[in-house]
Amino acid sequence: MSENPLSPHIQIYNWHISSLVSISHRITGVVNILILSLVCIWIWSLLLGNENYKIMFIFFNSFFGKFFIISFIWSYSFQILSEIRHWFWDLGYGFELKTSKITGVLVILGSILITIILFSIRGILL
Amino acid sequence: MVQINLPQNSKIKKGYYFKDKTGSKNLRKVNIYRWDPSTGENPRIDTYEVDMDNCPSKVLDLLNKIKNEIDPSIAYRRSCAHGVCGSCAMNMDGKNGLACTKPHSEIKGDINIYPLPHLKVLKDLIGDLSTLYKQYESVQPWLKTTKKSDNNEHYQTKEDRSKLDGLYECIMCACCSTSCPSYWWNGDKYLGPAVLLQAYRWIIDSRDEDRKERLKKVADELKLYRCHTIMNCTNACPKGLNPAKAIAEIKKMLATS
Repeated sequence: MSENPLSPHIQIYNWHISSLVSISHRITGVVNILILSLVCIWIWSLLLGNENYKIMFIFFNSFFGKFFIISFIWSYSFQILSEIRHWFWDLGYGFELKTSKITGVLVILGSILITIILFSIRGILL
Repeated sequence: MVQINLPQNSKIKKGYYFKDKTGSKNLRKVNIYRWDPSTGENPRIDTYEVDMDNCPSKVLDLLNKIKNEIDPSIAYRRSCAHGVCGSCAMNMDGKNGLACTKPHSEIKGDINIYPLPHLKVLKDLIGDLSTLYKQYESVQPWLKTTKKSDNNEHYQTKEDRSKLDGLYECIMCACCSTSCPSYWWNGDKYLGPAVLLQAYRWIIDSRDEDRKERLKKVADELKLYRCHTIMNCTNACPKGLNPAKAIAEIKKMLATS
């Protein structure tokens, strides 16, 4: 009987807003740690002189650099909004199916909106 | 541990195709997960063409029709057919539910029916729930009190009784637990939404005197805190209960006590 198969799980299960936000919360959490470490390394590298600043400047103005900044902003804003949602859950609010669906959508839309706003502010500043 | 892919012996193959013999014009395709322990072969998906003109409204009716008229070899659990016993819990159209309360008209396209996810399959749509039952036993789901009561019931106020609403209705069909990714990856240690909802049902019962011990027993990194509020459980519950909220209440009690 040890050969009994395992019934399919993630392959067949529908995604809901809440499960999508949940897994994204995890992924952005890990990504944020990586990115923050990278930023620290860059700041440290600035101490080594002018040359390093130039490299950063070129990178941030390249296509990949811009992609990087957008992902960075999105990842952080998503994490923050989703965390706020979790705080309310920890207090015992927002568990009704409808509420959790609406707050989930708000997290997704909000993070995109913040990303657009912050990225365009950067455009004005530079 | 997280294992996304199915093991080699669980990979699903293409199965048989049962063409309609009634000549009906109102046909629907039903894809059903099949596994026969006697053959030693991998699981397969059999496809049935079903005459929907002569089929009652629920997915269970559809299964009964297939079993009675097309293929008697198909195995699934069922009993009350009224959403009370919880036997016919299965995965329909990518979501767990009771076949007897799920109308097939709600499903668009082909009707895909699988056993409850991430269980050891015993046959076809029947999954092995023995781990879940053992976990249920571990929370000691019975009244614990030192008060002797010779003739009377243990009384409680209306307010105290109302705290059990949304909990006592649980029929232990396992739709919630088997919809939970945390339970998929850590089902041997994490208690899962169904059992935790039951644990909370006894923790919150005013007649029970074992609240502290119950809380202590459940306060465990793996048993309780593997819940990350994915909410699949609440989405799946065919009785409209909210296991995610019950788990959060336990966490809250632990944090504030």
